[in-house]
Amino acid sequence: MRLYPLLFALLLVAGVLAVLVGSGDLTDPELRDTFLKLRGYRLTAAFLAGAALAVGGVVVQGLFRNPLASPSVLGTTAGASFGGQVALLVYGVAGVGTSFIVPEMLVPIGCFIGAVAALAVLLLFLRVTQDLLALLLTGFVLSALFLSLSAFVTSIAQETWELGRAVVSFSLGSVSGTGPRQLAFAIPLIVVALIASWSWGRSLDLLLSGEEEAQSMGANVGAVRWWSAIWVSVLVAGAVSVGGNVGFVGLVVPHMLRPFAGTKHRRLIPAAALAGGIFLVTCDIIARVIPSRSEIPLGVVTGLIGAPLFLLLLIRLRREHTYA
Amino acid sequence: MLNGDAHLGLRAQGLSVSLGGRTVLHYVDLEAHPGEVLALLGPNGAGKSTLLKALAGLLPYEGRVEIAGADVASLSPRMRAKRVSYVPQRSLLRSALSVEEVVALGRYVHAGSFGGMSNGDREAIDRALETAHADVLRDRIFTQLSVGEQQRVLLARALASDAPILLLDEPTAALDVGEGMAVLRLIRTLAEQKHTLIVVLHDLADARSTTDRALLLKDGRVAEQGDTASVVSADPIRAVYGVRLVENARIGFEPDPDTEGRE
Repeated sequence: MRLYPLLFALLLVAGVLAVLVGSGDLTDPELRDTFLKLRGYRLTAAFLAGAALAVGGVVVQGLFRNPLASPSVLGTTAGASFGGQVALLVYGVAGVGTSFIVPEMLVPIGCFIGAVAALAVLLLFLRVTQDLLALLLTGFVLSALFLSLSAFVTSIAQETWELGRAVVSFSLGSVSGTGPRQLAFAIPLIVVALIASWSWGRSLDLLLSGEEEAQSMGANVGAVRWWSAIWVSVLVAGAVSVGGNVGFVGLVVPHMLRPFAGTKHRRLIPAAALAGGIFLVTCDIIARVIPSRSEIPLGVVTGLIGAPLFLLLLIRLRREHTYA
Repeated sequence: MLNGDAHLGLRAQGLSVSLGGRTVLHYVDLEAHPGEVLALLGPNGAGKSTLLKALAGLLPYEGRVEIAGADVASLSPRMRAKRVSYVPQRSLLRSALSVEEVVALGRYVHAGSFGGMSNGDREAIDRALETAHADVLRDRIFTQLSVGEQQRVLLARALASDAPILLLDEPTAALDVGEGMAVLRLIRTLAEQKHTLIVVLHDLADARSTTDRALLLKDGRVAEQGDTASVVSADPIRAVYGVRLVENARIGFEPDPDTEGRE
């Protein structure tokens, strides 16, 4: 198996570049430590968010038997982002002065509730859908709904300047401001959810043959569906709480990997975690080196890569008639 | 060969199934024994596949289904799948899994949450591939196989679970005469290995040549039950299908000893 040496080599290169590249001057001895520390947080945040979103993509693709599914396409990321904004708002309005509740703790919880709500709507309305377009359209509608709700939250938050800034910067999505406290809450969430997703891998393999066959082979289909949805929500919540609304990672990474790692989830999930991390770290480096007055949000870079790929996949699937 | 403790039969009592508010099966009683092939026969829409799916635990039913005296409804999906294996007519699998990976799915019931593949799993997969004459297909992609080849792989997947009871939904329906005959012979071999087989068949001649007993359904009710030779005989066939049975009227086929093993 040559895949893992390659992935680790790529991770090393991306990691080194992520520390070295940026607008700060590393030769200044006074600022060097601060820059290195900030870039370390940033690297960790990008890697974690990428790993979580890529594995989330693998799991929803299995869950819905649909190669075009991903947390952003299905509206899960938008749901998580909206949940996070509501959490910030609730904290801003009610939580100020409570010393033992910090926004870093509330945001992942809000993100989780938003993500679960988005996925639950899909699962309840579509059962196991084999209709590619119905799933994508429902995801699109959910995304649009959560985006407009987010706009509403943002407009309420504007009433206080500080809160407004926090909500806007959160919804733009960036790993540049991620601090150690956010990481401390996100790391356990993501690590547990990655392991749990992997442990459902065999059941997800069975689900590739459809609900009925999976059940005949001994899968508890209801349990697989709901637990997978829960763990995807935890993954997306963790990712959004450290990286904001970053799209298409869960679509791009699994598709790049399948030719090398195969279709079986037990093999695909660890590889997707590594490759997703590398992908988002790389996107973050690109965001830093593209010349612009202020830094380009991370979601813009992943969107520019992901959206064309999504269209290419759609064309290929329609030509092969492998959907429906 | 199956393990000694696996010699279990299947019995259904008063089995009724309603789909979308309509009762499609009415109080069906049946028994299937190890070493025996039971055919489910009847016109289209008589409820053959519905009965098979209910026995496999894939549809809600009223009544009782027992395996060696134990109520199937009280078993977890995993425990049930260890005892009963269901082979669909076609698989809905569209992903690029290899034949070996598809057959390995049959071992799901024997795996823990975190364990990998054991030697026992590998042996069972090899054995299943060999029994179903699918070992030459091992590294092929399942979705790229012919219907007949896919049928053999699905049988191998069911065999890999080591379930003593096998339920087959029209295993020969989409196959050509050679492929169909190979599957029917495989069914006989499995019966000799003391599996309990319940097979939905469309072709009454296939039922006569391959099965020991038969259950003839009409409009969701049992019209006739007993030895296949007595069920597939003039009176019941006229009553259920509205046709006359003519012995030896059609051309028949038999395996060619010179091409034995060239599947």
